[in-house]
Amino acid sequence: MEKWLASWSVNIAIAFTALRTNLMRSILTMLGVLIGVFAVTLAVAVGNGAQVSVMQSINSFGSNMAIIVPEPDNEGGRRSFDRGRLTQRDLRAIEREVPGVIATAPQLRSTLDLVTPGANATTSSVGTTPGYGSITHHPADRGRYITEADVRSAARVLVLGRTTAETLFGEFDPVGESVRVDGVPFQVIGLLEEKGSTFGTDNDDTVVMPISTMRQRFVGDTLPGPDDLQLAFAGFEEGASLVQGKIDITNVLKDRYRVRDGEINPFRVRTTQEFMEESQFITGILQAVLVAIASISLLVGGIGIMNIMLVSVTERTREIGLRMALGAKRSDIRNQFLVEAAVLCVLGGAVGLALAWLAGTALTAYADFPVPIGVGVAIGSLIFSAVIGLAFGGYPAVRASRLSPIEALRTE
Amino acid sequence: MMATPATPRTATDQPLIETRKLVKSYNLGGETIHAVNGVSLSIERGEYVAIMGTSGSGKSTFMNMIGCLDVPTSGQVLIDGTPTASMSSDELASLRNEKIGFVFQQFNLLARTSSIDNVAVPLIYAGIDKAERRERAIAKLRDMGLGDRLLNTPAKLSGGQQQRVAIARALVTEPLVLLADEPTGALDTRTSEEIMAIFEKLNAAGITVIVVTHEDEIADHAKRRIEFRDGKVIEDRLVKNRTVASAHAEAEGV
Ligand SMILES: Nc1ncnc2c1ncn2[C@@H]1O[C@H](COP(=O)(O)OP(=O)(O)O)[C@@H](O)[C@H]1O
Ligand SMILES: [Mg+2]
Repeated sequence: MEKWLASWSVNIAIAFTALRTNLMRSILTMLGVLIGVFAVTLAVAVGNGAQVSVMQSINSFGSNMAIIVPEPDNEGGRRSFDRGRLTQRDLRAIEREVPGVIATAPQLRSTLDLVTPGANATTSSVGTTPGYGSITHHPADRGRYITEADVRSAARVLVLGRTTAETLFGEFDPVGESVRVDGVPFQVIGLLEEKGSTFGTDNDDTVVMPISTMRQRFVGDTLPGPDDLQLAFAGFEEGASLVQGKIDITNVLKDRYRVRDGEINPFRVRTTQEFMEESQFITGILQAVLVAIASISLLVGGIGIMNIMLVSVTERTREIGLRMALGAKRSDIRNQFLVEAAVLCVLGGAVGLALAWLAGTALTAYADFPVPIGVGVAIGSLIFSAVIGLAFGGYPAVRASRLSPIEALRTE
Repeated sequence: MMATPATPRTATDQPLIETRKLVKSYNLGGETIHAVNGVSLSIERGEYVAIMGTSGSGKSTFMNMIGCLDVPTSGQVLIDGTPTASMSSDELASLRNEKIGFVFQQFNLLARTSSIDNVAVPLIYAGIDKAERRERAIAKLRDMGLGDRLLNTPAKLSGGQQQRVAIARALVTEPLVLLADEPTGALDTRTSEEIMAIFEKLNAAGITVIVVTHEDEIADHAKRRIEFRDGKVIEDRLVKNRTVASAHAEAEGV
């Protein structure tokens, strides 16, 4: 082991001498690897960043829930509500019968005009029940959220998203103020927690009101019955299996609507776990494509290494012969040139990694997109560049080691 | 046996180097050249042999084969009684490292490398650690009178000094035999005398020395003289009136 270390340290010293001797050439060769490692590292980091940001936005909507969408038949472009209905009674059944469900929330959505003296906003608005805030991770942090009493009385109350509040009231505190919605006066009872945007959609440009109010005043006549919903959410407790949850919900609904095996379900159940898996798959493909493209530059860098190592072996044939005459074994010669190639690559790779880190930090800061270069990626890049050195330096090194001592010594 | 060894036989009573019907041929455009053509001889421990002959007579080819740098076309080379034909390249490398010291006409020092590091190269391949390598290299350089040139690179040394660094390198692993192929070919007469004085001293200390040369003055330092022509030995005799190292070389204390 000690001997082994010592022989490598000798080879590293020889490699540095050789690299210094042809400094310009060494730097240019390193540049090839540098660009390659830079590109691959950044590609991996961008892929990871995409993954992270997709996960974060899915999590920000509630990490453990199922979304239930009624799917009415579509006949000639008109919805037929013979099949595909979903009501609040179904939600209560789900709460009762599906293990792990802690809450459900219905949703009716409509785009409404909100007007205050001096300002107005056109906002996608949600009618729902009190559980919605916690299931979707979007509660009120000023004033209050809607209550059961609000729902029972179809109260004309609104909880405003931060953006909407600012559009309508500016810096002024809107809680307790009045807003006209389609000409009807509503009272602002609270403000939703600030949430930021995902995929270019501003999550703070929204309004929440009791589902009963939404139904009576704005969307009632677009629905087939007085109890129908556009959409519903079921929140599961921590650690519950969403795969099982989806099966259970589907079974409860199939039971209630008497859907027989083999018939198409008139509703669709999707879980956040599925969204995550799908987006992980997509970002995975994105990353693979990026890395594949970036790898081409690394391949070119590797070929540069091979080229320069072949030149180096040819130039130093006499030195190789001399070393063999003095007792170098084939493996000694091979290792000497392998180490030289690896040193070139690791130096180039280290600088490439440093630049990738700078670029990643800059992107994270200024482009508002996380490009994380963690310890794993860093170590991976360095190992990868050493492997490139060994792979592309391998052929020249083995060639050098196979030279006959006397023929090598005789070359001029 | 034509030659009588000057020193008593050591451990083995085998000759240090023995060749049997040694042949090396090259095929040049359909024509076969026998560079060495059936040479059988033995060299005992402690001998000082000059190999003579005109250019192209096969001296270098012979030296390279007994130094295990080159492989014979046929015939055998035995070192210390051991046939080398069946040895692997690694075994040959170890054998060269431990038993043979080479001195070349063109010195063959590593450029941009200090005297110490040049001399230490064979010790790297002997697996000696750094501190000991340094110590032994310095000792050998001092023996060669280069105690004040330890850190010089070859470019900062005269031809004679470079050849002395090369001799220190050849000796640093304490080999049994020194093989020198025209070691003074690139040096002036005075420097050549110095180098020959060193060889004489080394031989007196018990190291077997084999020198290739085509100059009679150089060969006259040896105890035995082997002459090649067309790849064959045409003369092998003891030297009667040996030249002893010149006075001024001795005076320099080398
Ligand atoms: N690698 C080689 N290929 C072909 N011919 C060679 C080779 N090496 C030596 N020879 C030939 O073998 C003969 C002996 O060469 P060499 O041993 O170098 O002679 P010397 O050292 O006595 O001058 C010469 O005719 C030379 O041309
Ligand atoms: Mg010759």
